[in-house]
Amino acid sequence: MNKITRAFISVLRQNNSGYSSATLLGRQLSYQSDLSLDKIYPNARLQLYTPPPPPGSGDKFNGYIPMDKLEISYSRSSGPGGQHVNTVNTKVDIRFKLAEAEWIPTKTREKLLQVLANKLNKEGYYFIKSDLTRSQQMNLADALEKLRTVIRAQEVEPVAPSEETLEKLRRRQEKAARQRLQLKRDRSKVKADRRAPSGVDF
Amino acid sequence: MAHLRESSDKALKLLRTLPRVQIGNLRPNPNSKQNDKRGRAQHGGDKHGAGNKGSGQRQNFMRLGYETGNQAFYMRFPYEPYYKGHHMKREYPPISLLQLQVLVDTNRIDVSQPVDIATLCNSGLLSLKPAELQYGFQLTDEGLDNFKAKINIEVQHASEAVIAAVERNGGVIRTAYYDPRSLQILANPKKWFEKGVPIPQRMLPPQDAVEYYTDAKNRGYLANPEEISKERLVLAQKYGYELPRIEDDADYEMLTAAKDARQLFLGLEPGWLVNLVDKTIVKLKKT
Repeated sequence: MNKITRAFISVLRQNNSGYSSATLLGRQLSYQSDLSLDKIYPNARLQLYTPPPPPGSGDKFNGYIPMDKLEISYSRSSGPGGQHVNTVNTKVDIRFKLAEAEWIPTKTREKLLQVLANKLNKEGYYFIKSDLTRSQQMNLADALEKLRTVIRAQEVEPVAPSEETLEKLRRRQEKAARQRLQLKRDRSKVKADRRAPSGVDF
Repeated sequence: MAHLRESSDKALKLLRTLPRVQIGNLRPNPNSKQNDKRGRAQHGGDKHGAGNKGSGQRQNFMRLGYETGNQAFYMRFPYEPYYKGHHMKREYPPISLLQLQVLVDTNRIDVSQPVDIATLCNSGLLSLKPAELQYGFQLTDEGLDNFKAKINIEVQHASEAVIAAVERNGGVIRTAYYDPRSLQILANPKKWFEKGVPIPQRMLPPQDAVEYYTDAKNRGYLANPEEISKERLVLAQKYGYELPRIEDDADYEMLTAAKDARQLFLGLEPGWLVNLVDKTIVKLKKT
């Protein structure tokens, strides 16, 4: 059995719903030119697929936020804008319980609970709102970006000053002290010169 | 380090053949010695190289190019580059997502098949004029929030928000380049097929467009498909939607149907001759 007949039979065996069998057959025997993708990217996975979410690497927040864990609600934005701003729900409100957010690494979550303690509501929800743009989707993107910034800010370790910097600061402090004491001594001498000499003078 | 060794070897080789280094053979490095001759006596004295009268002698020099008041050469010819490069600038007439949604809702476009320039032009509501340097359609973000159609669409340019809007609804968007001849064919396919000319092959994009079409972020047709799959997740995370599992979609075959880089029509190869009268296709003989 030649390749064409084999392909034809395999196509007819498949369930052809919607997409016509002629085009399906065409795809099976699809045209591969000199610029076909399998020639340009020989080792790549050519079929479109949905990659799994990136695994959390323990301590660091990898930027992945599971959408089903957030409660997103929409409302009307404030500010000028006429009929559009009065009628379209462009403001986005994202809420989630900070203590139960498993997608934030434990260490960062604890830090956030401390830092954002005054920002959580009674039920322990942290929320972020955005009405930056005229579009709901762009506002949602903005809100998520804000959330990621807040989380990442807790993971940034402040850079310890270098030895040279510390040395510089120490020398500055010492110089300042030296000058202050010199000034005191000078004033003291001036005042002493104004007074009558005390004690036995040689 | 090997490079240095070679040059030192070269220097030693030269030394072996050149005459002995003597005071008379040496010369100082350029610009290391200044001329210490003072301007005195017959040749250096009198006006000291400043000439007679004028701005030169008075150390009040005229600027470079100045021609003592008359219009200088460099000021004579105006430069008004209003149309510079206009014949090279590509245009992409816009289609808003709102328009597209209306077309889909009113059944002017068949969404059960992949959508490309030919589909859009055949609807009769949109037209492309390749002769006026229109290189295809771009999808704009007007109507972004209300876009609900699930389509497999191929345009020539789309912004990130638009790509997100299409993929959010489970669709697939791709940006592809068509050279002007291919565009003329696609703008009115029926008229071209009536000519009875074999289908040509599509050419590669010009240099300044290659970067765009090989980037997975723009869903370019020359980009790595694996990168595109990854970028889909990245965009879903950025714009805050759950990426629909396209493999589990019933229309997976249709949604992932893509043209080859040399193909004009899905299902037809370059080199084939379509005979509309006899309703046949003449193909190239496989040698």
